[in-house]
Amino acid sequence: MADFPLTFRDRLDRIFDVLETEINWPEALRGTENSDAVSALRRILLDGLRIALRERTDVSEAQLEDFTHEALLRILERLDQFAGRSRFTTWAHSIAVNTAFTELRRKRWQDVSLDVLVADGQQLSESAVLPDDALGSGEERTRLVGLLRKAVAEKLSAKQRTAIVCMLQEMPIDQIVELLGTSRNSAYKLLHDARCALKEYLIAEGISSEVIRTAFAP
Amino acid sequence: MKRLTPQQIEGLIRAVGQTREHEFNCAECQRNISEFAERQIAGLPLEGALAGVEQHLTVCSECREEFLALEKILRAS
Repeated sequence: MADFPLTFRDRLDRIFDVLETEINWPEALRGTENSDAVSALRRILLDGLRIALRERTDVSEAQLEDFTHEALLRILERLDQFAGRSRFTTWAHSIAVNTAFTELRRKRWQDVSLDVLVADGQQLSESAVLPDDALGSGEERTRLVGLLRKAVAEKLSAKQRTAIVCMLQEMPIDQIVELLGTSRNSAYKLLHDARCALKEYLIAEGISSEVIRTAFAP
Repeated sequence: MKRLTPQQIEGLIRAVGQTREHEFNCAECQRNISEFAERQIAGLPLEGALAGVEQHLTVCSECREEFLALEKILRAS
């Protein structure tokens, strides 16, 4: 028992904590009479998405409802994948967030042309795109950018350059998959191999791994 | 193609610098992100697979964006 007075909010939080630990969500959702559990989870997810996306003025309440509905379906399909390493609701929120952001990104990038990205990739190693003084006129920075440009020109395939252009524009991996007509794993490997090739080149040119890692650490 | 911004170049160099030979992909990150988020918020150690999540978040802007959204939900609840 607490040895100090609890506020109403504290009491409410404790009730929710008890509910969270006492509800066996997977079991409740698998049951034939699962409508109460589904409704409760739906409310939790919708509240979560409202919080996660409250700064996005381009997202309507109807969209939030759609994302929640889609997320619920995915959660019900994947109940066997819940390993119990986190609270169930945290796991469910992660799926809802992924569902919402994937859909929002897809809409943002739906009109992008592969031809334009391929052309951009071809120009990626040009001085006009990646000039020596892009990060300032300091000797080390100028050299780093110059080496990066050479690495892009000499070590990356056309497809890898296109993937790097997509990455620079923060294009989602699902969109890259769609544009390149490949699988998610292949697209990720394409980008990973490109990053590895650039890193190897810079290290071979005497830029230490530590310098590359910490040069622009957030 | 337009001249790259300093932010784009710095982001590329940062991503290159954080690259490991073996690293999680987005699906592996997604499988572990809920446990990672809870432990991160609680200030608990991030070992094993969770270190893989932490590294992935440094090179993947999408997963990072989703992690920050999840973190926002957990901190508000």
